[in-house]
Amino acid sequence: MKVGYYPGCTLKGSAKALDETTHLAVELLGSSLTEIEDWTCCGATTPLTETRIANLIAQTRLLAKTRDAGYDALVTTCPFCFSTLKRANLTLANDELKRRRMNTYLAEDRRLRDYETPPPAWVDYSGETRVLHMLEWIRDDFGFQVISTAARVSLKGLKVAPFYGCQLLRPADELAMCDPENPVLFEEFLGALGTDVIDFPNRIDCCGSYLSVARPEAALRASCKILDSARMHGADTVVVTCPLCFYNLDYFQDEMLRGNPEFKQVPILYFTQLLALALGAPLDKLGLDSHKVDPGPLLERFTVNVPGEVPA
Amino acid sequence: MVRILQPEERREAVNRMHELSNQDILLCLQCGKCTAGCPFSNDMDLAPHQIVRMAQLGLIDELKASEAIWYCATCFTCVSRCPVAIDIAAVAEVIRLYLQMDDEARFDPESIPKSLTENAPQQALVSLYRKFGN
Repeated sequence: MKVGYYPGCTLKGSAKALDETTHLAVELLGSSLTEIEDWTCCGATTPLTETRIANLIAQTRLLAKTRDAGYDALVTTCPFCFSTLKRANLTLANDELKRRRMNTYLAEDRRLRDYETPPPAWVDYSGETRVLHMLEWIRDDFGFQVISTAARVSLKGLKVAPFYGCQLLRPADELAMCDPENPVLFEEFLGALGTDVIDFPNRIDCCGSYLSVARPEAALRASCKILDSARMHGADTVVVTCPLCFYNLDYFQDEMLRGNPEFKQVPILYFTQLLALALGAPLDKLGLDSHKVDPGPLLERFTVNVPGEVPA
Repeated sequence: MVRILQPEERREAVNRMHELSNQDILLCLQCGKCTAGCPFSNDMDLAPHQIVRMAQLGLIDELKASEAIWYCATCFTCVSRCPVAIDIAAVAEVIRLYLQMDDEARFDPESIPKSLTENAPQQALVSLYRKFGN
């Protein structure tokens, strides 16, 4: 299976650390990721109304481009990209009217657009590209057991709380990755890294998503509740997959502290940072300077190498 | 005061909602699981199950005037817990769509303070503009 990597806008913008540690971790696993050429925006959200089909164009164009470049699957780290691409893919495979409208539009668009070098004619797209999230790809292509064996740094004693967020889980029948109420994928991954995985009830909650821009008080309350719960259950750090969860949970902690002096700050980590760390990456390669709450002091004690296995 | 619509008017509103959201809102049992699970039901002036009930009654004007539809973060918790599988996020999105169709919801990105947009991840801005904008 030939897999193309789709970073998406945020991983080239505010979440560079997620993109860089994704590449770093995969390289430390002895593999590499090839970015799809000329990628564009994924659309970020799935249109929920039947009329808003123009909001499927970005997804369709991107998925067709991936197929036309010879890839069987597209793997992405950002849950927003994952969710909208996977859902659009299902729509294109199963909804004949939307599929025809999309393909008719995109074929015309390609024909009429004034290209310097005209691309080949549009080939109808009906959901051929598989859409995978990085966690799924790591599980299926490498296996969590392999990660466990490849780990050069023991993370034993690091109490991590996995936070799934919304876009990885729901709607579960379409995303088909985890049980929406009792997911285990993230726990299995973190367990394979040797960490002490904390079970906390808010791991499947919503952090407030884009409400942190439009209705900041509401998102702040939601995020604060998640962090309080994680801390109360003994977590040293909350681990996320999503740049927006990261932003909501990390960036606003100063404000949470202003609102409640009892609030205890919790460093937030991307799952790829922890993976790269376990595979032997030095701290200065993890992009930790982009964090508001510095995880450095917490992670320092986990950079001691397992005897006899010194990373190159 | 709650309006009571004529049966015809009500039926038309329900049918239009069905057509645009692809959701059969008449299946709703008012069990309240959506509201119980919603992370923002406390911030809303109408709880999610009330949104569905009002949509059943065709009270679209009241829904258009509510704050609740702007607090939906489309996290799909309600959708995943609904025993009759109604996508309530889609119902809320149709109400936002109505406002956009009426030209009453032209979302002004300038209205958001710069302090909130300059550090926000790109995905937050793209999805916000898509959900709130046109």
